[in-house]
Amino acid sequence: MIAFIAQNMAPIMFASLIVFLLFGYPVAFSLAATGLAFFALGVELAPFSGGSINLSWPLLWALPENFYGNRVMSNDVLLAIPFFTFMGIVLERSGMAEDLLDTVGQLFGPIRGGLAYAVIFVGALLAATTGVVAASVIAMGLISLPIMLRYGYDRRVASGVIAASGTLAQIIPPSLVLIVLADQLGRSVGDMYAGAMIPGLVLTGLYMLYILTMSIIRPNSMPALPEEARTLGKGVLSLIAALLAAGVIGYAAYRYLEPAHGANADILAGSFAVIVIYIFAVADKTFGFNAMSRLAQQVVIVLIPPLALIFLVLGTIFLGIATPTEGGAMGAVGALIMAGFKRRLTLDVIKQALTSTTRLSSFVLFILIGARVFSLTFYGVNGHLWVEHLLVSLPGGELGFLIVVNILVFVLAFFLDFFELAFIIVPLLAPAADKLGIDLVWFGVLLGVNMQTSFMHPPFGFALFYLRSVAARVPYLDRITGKQIAPVTTGQIYWGAVPFVCIQVLMIGLTIAFPQMVMHYKGKTVDPSTIEIQVPELPGMGLSPLGAPDGGSTPTQPAGTDLSQPPNFGGDQPAQPAPSTPDLSKPPSFN
Amino acid sequence: MEGLLALSRGIDRLSEFIGKWVSWLILVSILVSAGNAIIRKVFDMSSNAWLELQWYLFGAAFMLAAAHTLKQNEHIRIDIVYGMWSRRVQHWIDLIGHLFFLMPFVLLMVYMFVPYTLHSFQSGEGSTNSGGLIVWPAKAILLVGFSLLALQGISEIIKKIAIMRGDMEDPNPFVSAHEQAELEGKALAEEVRS
Repeated sequence: MIAFIAQNMAPIMFASLIVFLLFGYPVAFSLAATGLAFFALGVELAPFSGGSINLSWPLLWALPENFYGNRVMSNDVLLAIPFFTFMGIVLERSGMAEDLLDTVGQLFGPIRGGLAYAVIFVGALLAATTGVVAASVIAMGLISLPIMLRYGYDRRVASGVIAASGTLAQIIPPSLVLIVLADQLGRSVGDMYAGAMIPGLVLTGLYMLYILTMSIIRPNSMPALPEEARTLGKGVLSLIAALLAAGVIGYAAYRYLEPAHGANADILAGSFAVIVIYIFAVADKTFGFNAMSRLAQQVVIVLIPPLALIFLVLGTIFLGIATPTEGGAMGAVGALIMAGFKRRLTLDVIKQALTSTTRLSSFVLFILIGARVFSLTFYGVNGHLWVEHLLVSLPGGELGFLIVVNILVFVLAFFLDFFELAFIIVPLLAPAADKLGIDLVWFGVLLGVNMQTSFMHPPFGFALFYLRSVAARVPYLDRITGKQIAPVTTGQIYWGAVPFVCIQVLMIGLTIAFPQMVMHYKGKTVDPSTIEIQVPELPGMGLSPLGAPDGGSTPTQPAGTDLSQPPNFGGDQPAQPAPSTPDLSKPPSFN
Repeated sequence: MEGLLALSRGIDRLSEFIGKWVSWLILVSILVSAGNAIIRKVFDMSSNAWLELQWYLFGAAFMLAAAHTLKQNEHIRIDIVYGMWSRRVQHWIDLIGHLFFLMPFVLLMVYMFVPYTLHSFQSGEGSTNSGGLIVWPAKAILLVGFSLLALQGISEIIKKIAIMRGDMEDPNPFVSAHEQAELEGKALAEEVRS
C-alpha cells in the first residue's frame, strides 16, 4: 500500500489538488498547502518509491530563492500585469470607448448591420489599446445596445456581437493573457504579440463576415439607421479623401524614411501620416475652414487618441524602443494624459485605479507563488514526467495532442480563470508540446483563442454577465422614439453568444490548420543593420530583438526542460526573429 | 473574546493602512518604467538600478497588499462547489483553510525568510547586474509581506470564530464570482452615466 502510494505520488497529488481547489478555499493558498503537504509526505515515502521521488528537506529551502528570483518577484515580464491593468482602468474612465462607439456608429450606421460592424471595429480597436473585457462590454452595452434595440436589431444578434467583440481584448495584443502565457511558456512577449496579431485580425474579420452573412439571410435582423438618426450628417466621401491623403503622405514618408530606417520606416511613416491628418482635422474644426465634412472631422478626431495609444504600446515594442513592460508603462502614462485632456482625471479615479490594480496584482502573483510551491513538489515526485508521458502518448501525434489539449482547456476554462490556467495547467502542457516539436508561440496563441472563448461561453462566460448587468431587465420607454422597448432576456444573451462560440471553435481549427498565421513572427525579412543598431540600445533588457536570454529578465522556463531554443521548424531556421513585420504597423483605419 | 477581537481590529487596521498606501508604489513604478524607456531612447543612457527599481516597487506593492487582499476576501476561489454549500459549511471551510492551508504556509515562509534576508543583509549582497540595487530590501519585502499575511491570518481566524459564535456580523458575505461581475458592471455603468 505504502509502496503503491509512493510510486503514484504524482497522480494522487494532482487529484488531491483538484479536490482541494473545489472546496473553494482561495486558490493561492490551496496550491501552496497541497505542495507543502505532499512535500512532507514525499520526504517520508521517498525510501519506498523506488527512486521516483526526489525530495528531501533541504530542497524546501529553494522556496525563498524561488520567490525572490526571476520567476516571481524579479520578473520584468509580469510587471506588465499592473501596468496594463492600470492603463485599462484609466481608459475606461476616460470615456474613449463611448466617443468611439458614438462616432463609428454614425459612420457605419447607414449600412445594413452597420452598428454591429461598428461594435466589432471598436472592440478590436479598444483591444489593441489594452485589453479589459469588462470595460469594452459595458461601454457597448450602454452606448450601442440601446440604439440597436431602438432601431429593431434582433436581440440575440445585438447581444452576441457585443459580448464577442468585448472579448477580442483577450486575444488582440497587448493582452494580459498573452503576457502571462509568454511568461509561462518561456517565450518573449514580443514574439507572442507578433504571433497573435494575424489570428486576432482574422477573428475580427470572421465576426464581420458573420454579420454580413446574417444581413443577407435575415435583413430584418439588423436594419440600417434611419435618416433622422444620422446626427453627424453625410460626408463619407470627404473621409475617404482624407484617408487617401493620409495614405499618400504615409507612402511618401515611407519612401523618404526607408533608406535611413529600414524595416522601421513603415511604423514611423504611418505615425507621421496620422499626425498630419489629425492636425489638419483639428485645425479644420477650430478655424471653421469646412474643408472636411463634419463626419470626417469627427471620425479623425476620435480615432487619433486610440491610435496614439496603440503606437505607444505596440509601436514602441515593434520598433525596439521599449520592452513590452515599458510599452505598458508608456501606455499607462498616455492614458493618464488623455484622461487629463478630457477632464476626466481626478484624484479619485487614480486612487480607484491603483486600488483595483493592486488587488488584482496581489491575488494573481499569489496564485503564482502558490503554483511555485506546488510545482516544486510536483517536479520532485516526477509529476512532469507523468504528465508528459500521458500527453505524448496520445494517439494522433501533434494533431491529436493539440485537439485533446484544446478540449481540455476549453472545459477547464469553465471553472478556472486564465490566470489559474496559465500558472497551473500551462507549465504542465508546455514540455510535452515542446517535445512533440510544437512551436510554443503557436501553442500559446492557440490557448489564447481558446481561453478567450470561455469569456463568452454560456452560462459561465464573464462577458455575458457584464452585458447582463447593463442590459435592461424591465421594459423601458425609449428616450428618442418614445416607444416601449422590451427587455433583453438572459436567454437571448446566451443564445446570442452561441454563433460566436462556434466562430471561436472554427478559429481554433483555422489556427491549427494554418500555423503560418502565427509563424510569421519569426520574421521573413531579417535586416541585419537594424538589429545591430538596436542591440546596444537595450542593455540588460529581456526582450531585445534577438530574443536572447540575458540578465535578470530572462523569460522563464518550466524547470527541467530547456526551452530556451525555439524548436526547429523546417530546414532553414532564421537567425533572428525580426522585431516587426510590415502588416502590424499600420493603424487599422488605413488598411 | 473581546480582547481577541480588539487584537483582530488592530491587525485589520494595520493591513488596511499598509495595503492602501502601497498601491501608490505602482504609480511610481509606472513612471519609472516609462522614464527608463524614454531616457534610453533619447539620451542613450540606461541604468540597471532604475530597471531594478521597477520590480522592487511592484514587489512591495503586491507583497505588502496581500494581507489587505486577504482581509477583503479578494484572493480568488473556485466557487462552483463552494457556492452550493450553506453559509455555515462555508464558514467551516474557511476556518479549516485558514488553520491548515494558510497558516502553515505563511509561518513556514516567515521562518525561512528570516535567515534568508538576514544573510543577504549581513553579507551586503549586491545585485548580479552591474550597477544594480542592493538586494536585502527586496528580500525584506518578502519577509514583511509574509509576516503581515501571518498576522492577518490570525485576525481572520479570530473573526471567523466570532462570526460562527454569533459574536459579530459577517463583513464579507458570500458573493459568487458571477454575481460579483454583475455588481462591478453595474457600478461601472453608473460611473459612465454620471
